[in-house]
Amino acid sequence: MKTIVSISTPLGRGAISIVRMSGKDSLKIALKVFHLKEREIKPRYMYFGKLEIEKGVFEECLMVYFKAPNSYTGEDIVEFQIHGGVLLAQKVVELCVKKGCSLAESGEFSKRAFLNGKITLDKAEAIIGEINAESEAELNSSLKITNGKLAEKIDEEQKKLTELLAEIEVSFDYPEYDYEDIVKAKVYDVIRKIKKENDEIIEMSKSAVYLKNGINVAIVGRANVGKSSLLNALLGEERAIVTDIEGTTRDSLKESFMHKGVKINLIDTAGIRKTDDVVEKIGIEKSLKSLKSADVVLFVRDGSSSETEEDREIKQNIKDKVVINIINKTDKPRVLKEKENEVEVSAITNKNINLLKDMIVETIIKNDIDANALILTNERQLATLKKCDEWIEKIFKAKELSMDVIAMLIKNLWKELGKITGNTENEDIISLIFSKFCLGK
Amino acid sequence: MENFDAIVIGAGHAGCESALALARMGNKTLLLTISLDAVAFLACNPSIGGTAKGQLVSEIDALGGEMGIIADRTALQIRMLNSGKGPAVQSLRAQADKNAYHMEMKKVLEGEKNLYLRQGEVVDISLDGDEKIITTSVGLKYKARAVVLATGVYLESEIIIGKTREKTGPNGFKNSHGLSDSLEKLGLKLLRFKTGTPVRLHRRSIDFSKMEVQYGDEYISGFSYLTKHKIENKKDCYLTYTTSKTHEIIRNNLDKAPAITGEIVGVGPRYCPSIETKVVRFADKERHQLFLEPEAENTEEMYLQGFSTSMPADIQKEMVESVIGLEHAEIMRDAYAIEYDCIDPTELNPTLELKKIKGLFFAGQINGTSGYEEAGAQGIVAGINAALYLANKEMLVLKRSDAYIGVLIDDIVTKGTNEPYRMMTSRAEYRLKLRQDNADLRLTEIGRKVGLVSDKRYQIFLDKKSKMKEVEEILNKKVKVDEKLVNFYSSHNESVPKESVRYRDMLKRANIDIFDIQKEFDEFKDYDYDILEKVNINMKYEGYLKQQEEEIEKALANEKITIPEDFDYSAIKGLRQEAIEKLIKIKPLNIGQASRISGVSPADISVLSVYVKKFKRG
Repeated sequence: MKTIVSISTPLGRGAISIVRMSGKDSLKIALKVFHLKEREIKPRYMYFGKLEIEKGVFEECLMVYFKAPNSYTGEDIVEFQIHGGVLLAQKVVELCVKKGCSLAESGEFSKRAFLNGKITLDKAEAIIGEINAESEAELNSSLKITNGKLAEKIDEEQKKLTELLAEIEVSFDYPEYDYEDIVKAKVYDVIRKIKKENDEIIEMSKSAVYLKNGINVAIVGRANVGKSSLLNALLGEERAIVTDIEGTTRDSLKESFMHKGVKINLIDTAGIRKTDDVVEKIGIEKSLKSLKSADVVLFVRDGSSSETEEDREIKQNIKDKVVINIINKTDKPRVLKEKENEVEVSAITNKNINLLKDMIVETIIKNDIDANALILTNERQLATLKKCDEWIEKIFKAKELSMDVIAMLIKNLWKELGKITGNTENEDIISLIFSKFCLGK
Repeated sequence: MENFDAIVIGAGHAGCESALALARMGNKTLLLTISLDAVAFLACNPSIGGTAKGQLVSEIDALGGEMGIIADRTALQIRMLNSGKGPAVQSLRAQADKNAYHMEMKKVLEGEKNLYLRQGEVVDISLDGDEKIITTSVGLKYKARAVVLATGVYLESEIIIGKTREKTGPNGFKNSHGLSDSLEKLGLKLLRFKTGTPVRLHRRSIDFSKMEVQYGDEYISGFSYLTKHKIENKKDCYLTYTTSKTHEIIRNNLDKAPAITGEIVGVGPRYCPSIETKVVRFADKERHQLFLEPEAENTEEMYLQGFSTSMPADIQKEMVESVIGLEHAEIMRDAYAIEYDCIDPTELNPTLELKKIKGLFFAGQINGTSGYEEAGAQGIVAGINAALYLANKEMLVLKRSDAYIGVLIDDIVTKGTNEPYRMMTSRAEYRLKLRQDNADLRLTEIGRKVGLVSDKRYQIFLDKKSKMKEVEEILNKKVKVDEKLVNFYSSHNESVPKESVRYRDMLKRANIDIFDIQKEFDEFKDYDYDILEKVNINMKYEGYLKQQEEEIEKALANEKITIPEDFDYSAIKGLRQEAIEKLIKIKPLNIGQASRISGVSPADISVLSVYVKKFKRG
């Protein structure tokens, strides 16, 4: 049987999360991702070590190994105890999947326990009985993530497609009737609307996306405002373990740290570090370059000197971005007159550095992830939405083809959408055909 | 008591195919019918085929059935429906000569050496161990190990016209009385369904000048892969409309309409509402389409499609006379509704064998379906499986990805039906594969394996396959860029390629199909339309066909996990009660079928698969 993995603790912002693997490859997979001093792993001992979350990014954690058959499922089990936070737990799951695990189905650990005779029939029935409820909860909670709006949207979209399909299908099944054949223009009109709404849904689910990929933060400001020291303050001690690196050129240097379970990527740090030791003039251009991919911009100004032309120029350049205004060097007397909605920090004394980290997270991730929400479901949901996008793409590509192919693709899109809410019953379309159109011998 | 290998009860479209399949597969077969004059009778519309139904007819043909051959032989007109909408939804529809159809089928039955066609009304079926004993109304008894019930709409049927109720079968034939009781004694629960048929009018009384003529398509092939000739269009159809007066008459007389007043208890089909139902349900529609279709070549009777009703006869007359062009119409037969007994098809396995009683098969309208084609499709499968049962061989279950027949049977035995079930293209999820043009490629090999496909049919099939292969090989040949090629591309509004191209590449262009290539390049000149058409579709839709194949592959994984016949669902308390009840009732053959049962959730399926694995491991 496959080795499976899932997050075993409720997701939210709890202090710790447990990620559990079960199956004969559990330990093998664990040792591919978990770095520790000990050479030999004894069952039922707790080990301290580091998970390499991604290349160069480490996370301290604890690991316990249960050897078959002395485990809950009766198979080899490995559990990681990691810091709380949705992203991290999810990352660990992804990591295990990458090394050969499969995502566990809902209730699968209990099922295995039963299959391996670890729990009695009575107990198994009780647990498996809950699987249904659980999977319903799974469905609900996955939809709850955006306050039920997502479910509504999906239903709406599906309804539009159902109506469209009914119209197309009736023209296939009742060609002799005088209902005007649906024209492609109308079909594509609807699809374009769906596409737009889909994009909106993805927008709505963005928090989840940030949780997955981290928040990109750019630090901008004229030379000598202390960007580099702020960078170091943000990275703090973790700097030692969070040397990056994607890409090979120093220009794309990115350094990351974790805060409240969310990864924060400081982008284009090479530019910042470079301005410290080379000609100061190029400072502005350099830091402006990093703006494009930034989710949040930290605009750093020197509190101990007056506003300059350069400050104003930068302000102009970042006016469309999400900006946190930062006044650095607050350990010195304030000279800067212009006040914004701002955070006063000191990279030297570490004043408000933690507050700033909180702000970065909260500015972007506005919706708290529902404590009942199962991130795995959410993963599927996102994957499903992306799949929908692929179908839409295919529908547009088929524009010159005959209606049967277009209908087939639309049906696939309709089904894919339905996977989110559980509505994939073909009969819906047929019923609509009969209620909407007058047909018969 | 006479002994047979198999007995088929009912010689309608299901019974004829069943009996022929059984006899042709070497079984001494008795075919009993209430009236020899009702053999293969087109009781309602004088046409065969139509959307999705056309596919069914060609599938019956590919398996070695008779319907397509006779439809082609007796066609008065033929059309390819949906020709502009793509190959997946194209279907043949033929107007059939109802008298000729009946005569031709009867002749085929009479000519079949293992087949004994006999008039006789069955009133009782009883079991004697493995044997089934059939008793007719005149006290004759017959015995066989396999029985196919194909009683159509005859079981305790009643014809309704206004206040008049008559205990007869369709068209005034005798109904079947007693057999229903016998089936209930065997433990079957019966349902009551309803359908109807419109008026027949005398041709001379119709003013065709006020109507639109509907012509057939010229030079197209028929349903059967054995038919070599192109179908000749001998008769036309006509289109006309109801008027506001028609609707007024109907509205004023709704109190006399049994379908509306609730006097008819049988469940009628949504897709086949009576004209009064249409007027009530679609009140804002100003007019309804009606078609006039010829009933046969040697009769003046015309069928008024779209005008099915159970209104009193005098009101029917008023209604008809309000239709454009029918102001002076002579009604020759009244429209009527018919109620009849049928079984709940979920009592059947996908083999069409009754779950409770081995060797007892059901096919056609008795299973809650409607339509000649649906009946024929079930008939041939029931016949094949009865024969395989007698031979003690594994029975045939066509998959949803094999044929419309597979979709049809899977739908009714898995989901059941609460109205007469009609085949529609919308019901098939793999319709790009299940096309009208390729039924032989999908099914002839299967028909050959079970022993129903004749040498002649098989040879035609093999020839076609090898011809297709030849064409595909020619398509790989390269053509260099010369004046001819340049002209060819530019005359089709396509940009001229820079380097030499394969014929196959030409087909990737939207404006070039294989027939364009055939006109220009001699290498293709010897191949028939039929061959080229298939290759053309395969090439043009390659990507989409592949995509569908992948979907099919995925779905088949679940079909492969079989559920043991003696599996005890009630022992799994983890399943929801509703799911347990449904699963016990349907007894799915595999996890795939289980997942299509309504009321069984994906969570139930995941629980079930665990237990099935556990069960199999012991």
